[in-house]
Amino acid sequence: MDDAELASRFASGDADSVRVLYQTYGRLVFSVAYRVLGDTGLAEDATQQTFVQAWRGASSYDPNRPLGAWITTIAKRVAIDFYRRERKHRHLVDVDTADDPALITLPPSLDQLEDVAEVRRALDELPSADRDLIRMQHFDELSHAEIARELEIPLGTVKSRTFRAHRRLAGLLAHLRADPGDSSPSVRPEGGSDG
Amino acid sequence: MDDSDLTPAERAEIERIDHVLADEAVWMEPPAHLQEAVVAAVAAESGALTRRRRLRLALVGVAATVLLAVGVTVGVQLTRDDPVQFAASLSGTELAPDATGDVTMTKTPSGWDIRLHATGLPRREDGEFYEAWLKDDSGLLVPIGTFNDGREVTLWAGVPPSAFSTMTITQEVADGDQTSSGQVVLVGEAEES
Repeated sequence: MDDAELASRFASGDADSVRVLYQTYGRLVFSVAYRVLGDTGLAEDATQQTFVQAWRGASSYDPNRPLGAWITTIAKRVAIDFYRRERKHRHLVDVDTADDPALITLPPSLDQLEDVAEVRRALDELPSADRDLIRMQHFDELSHAEIARELEIPLGTVKSRTFRAHRRLAGLLAHLRADPGDSSPSVRPEGGSDG
Repeated sequence: MDDSDLTPAERAEIERIDHVLADEAVWMEPPAHLQEAVVAAVAAESGALTRRRRLRLALVGVAATVLLAVGVTVGVQLTRDDPVQFAASLSGTELAPDATGDVTMTKTPSGWDIRLHATGLPRREDGEFYEAWLKDDSGLLVPIGTFNDGREVTLWAGVPPSAFSTMTITQEVADGDQTSSGQVVLVGEAEES
């Protein structure tokens, strides 16, 4: 099923197509939401809201645009809206700290969110073994030797697999950035402005 | 082969996203229950939209019914507000046996607009004129205007023809006497038309 067909079925409210869309982009949306909100519960709510808003706007979806980019744009907008609402709520509850500039945090910029979305999409396309290696090296900050011990495989194998994983990842990201339809338009002013 | 074999572009790409790969967000896995929660949320929204559409249709139906009812009411009201009219056919008396007249009396906010079309009455002028009256059952006379020529006359009455139903036309002379001369030339009874 291509993007246009999926979007069309999604617009009709077909439950199976909602599942397909979620299985394809749910992790991406959740990552974007979590990056903005830093809270699993809020990220869940924002993810739900993203798909609801996507459903509302599905009839106006441009089939010439990649579905992933379209839903990423919605996810970013929804997450930032959640962030602002949450921050406002916190300020109302905690009046004493609301005016302290040191305690005010800004949401990530749209560029930062786009990086998260791009990387997440690329990681989701990698074989799980490649993904695990990259996670171990970049997120868990394990050395090749530590990874070799963890996976109980030779160090050389770790190095060669890591090389392949990095090459695939770089290739996927280059492909994503080369896709003219994937340049998510700004929906808000850049720079993490909190309005 | 290891990372040293990456092309400069590939290496630059990996270095560019190194901080992103270290971000917890890109590795977060949504909870398993979220998929069905999303499906349910979209279904609920879809259902809500359907309900809103049904409600909108129902409201349109109600609005149409109300409009129809208002239309009927207004129509009835307009019908009721049709001007109340009386009419009278006047006959000539012995003083003017060839005279006849038709009268229409229309209720207006200002009073009763009375139109007289009389024939057979010679024109009176130079201090002589005709005067129209309405009279009730007790004989009380109310003057409703004077004129010289009876063919196209507009008169005004401040009393209703339902109570002052007898209309008379008298010959008068400008002699300072405001009462009727009693010289009736036309007479008739007004009836609601």
